[in-house]
Amino acid sequence: MVVRAAKWGWSRAGLQRLVLVLLWLGHGIWVFLGPNPVRHWTHLADALSRPSQTLASRWAGWRASRREAGRTLSDIRADNARLTAELSQLKTMDAQQAPRLAEADEAVRLLGLKRQIPLELASARVIFTTRPATFGGLILDRGQDAGLVPDQGVIVPEGIVGRLWSVTGTQSKILPADAPNASVAVMLMRSRATGVLQGLGSGRALIRYVSNQEVVQVGEAVLTSGLDRVFSRGLLVGYVAEVTKGDLELRVIVNLAAPLDRLSAVLLLPPQPPLEVQPPFFVPDQKPQRKRGVT
Amino acid sequence: MRIAPPTLTRQNLLCGAGLGLIFLTAPFPRLQFVVHAVLVLALAPRPGAPLAAALWALAAGWALEGSLRLYPHLGGTAWADMTVTLVAGWMAGRWPLEDLKGWLARLFPLCLLHTLLVHGAVRLATNPHPWGWSWFWTLLTVPAWGWLTWRLLHAGPALGRR
Repeated sequence: MVVRAAKWGWSRAGLQRLVLVLLWLGHGIWVFLGPNPVRHWTHLADALSRPSQTLASRWAGWRASRREAGRTLSDIRADNARLTAELSQLKTMDAQQAPRLAEADEAVRLLGLKRQIPLELASARVIFTTRPATFGGLILDRGQDAGLVPDQGVIVPEGIVGRLWSVTGTQSKILPADAPNASVAVMLMRSRATGVLQGLGSGRALIRYVSNQEVVQVGEAVLTSGLDRVFSRGLLVGYVAEVTKGDLELRVIVNLAAPLDRLSAVLLLPPQPPLEVQPPFFVPDQKPQRKRGVT
Repeated sequence: MRIAPPTLTRQNLLCGAGLGLIFLTAPFPRLQFVVHAVLVLALAPRPGAPLAAALWALAAGWALEGSLRLYPHLGGTAWADMTVTLVAGWMAGRWPLEDLKGWLARLFPLCLLHTLLVHGAVRLATNPHPWGWSWFWTLLTVPAWGWLTWRLLHAGPALGRR
């Protein structure tokens, strides 16, 4: 058996096929790569890494939102604590300012009353009250140093309070109108019947010396008559609470208008004021009149 | 009755004329694409010479894209032309021609395949782009240039090397 050596080499048809395949493959690769050959690799890498990138972005977003929520919560808590402290501070300030505010309101009301009565009125503060005690009264912070004398009338915007009972150097004591030993000359508003008010305590008083023939209605206003020369005529005393007929005179119970237990400042009438006090005449503001024919 | 393939000289001359026409019809892109399709589908394929057919198809594709100067990366049309030409040559060797009807019936699917392959290759080489209407005119004129190429390639006297 003869073994022949194999013939190595390319035939013409084989070379043509090789050239053709290389041409086709080379051209195809050229086309596939395109103008930016790296783009295919980057697209592949993007496609492969897209799930992990999505997860990572979601994880980062979740952490950011959680951090933001935590920061917001801590900020809100800090703001809440700060506002709570400010609120308590403001409440404290309000509580501290409340007496001064009430006093200022009272002063404004007294000033308004002072403008309505054309007399030279003095003002004083109530610094102490002994009303719960027998024959108790109100202690004022002014006395002889302010020119006060006993039997000066004391009023507030709601009505009369009483009269000065005793005056010392720097203080004075008010005998309130509801004291048992107090008396004020009064008159009824409708009937104009006069009488004498005597205190019954607890903001109530009794009008004496009103005839049985008089017609007095419950709720009728009671004014000062000015006959005691302590108060001028026409100052409000209170309102009729109860009317009963006696043997000779009516028994008229009056609720005093002035809050005797809650006074902080009062006005004092001058000694022996005039009987009649005319209220000041205020000229109303003239409105500018429009000229005719002018629109 | 099987139709004998044209002579190599006639086919090369016709391919050369087609390539020249591609350059000459550059101002008319639709007509240019039709001429280019004629060269690729009808003139260049040859059963026994795939390399020559592939070279003619490559030349047609590069001539078309080069004259268009439209794409950022050339070569897609040439590669598609070469592929379709090789397919057409293989079909011509596998199923020899018998008459004009068979020739036209072969050109229609080849024309469709050529259109799809060109669009896909250019899209792969560059980027997505509109289809245009050249493929439609090519497909519409298949009977005309199919008959013409039949007459030029197969109806004449068979001379030279076969």
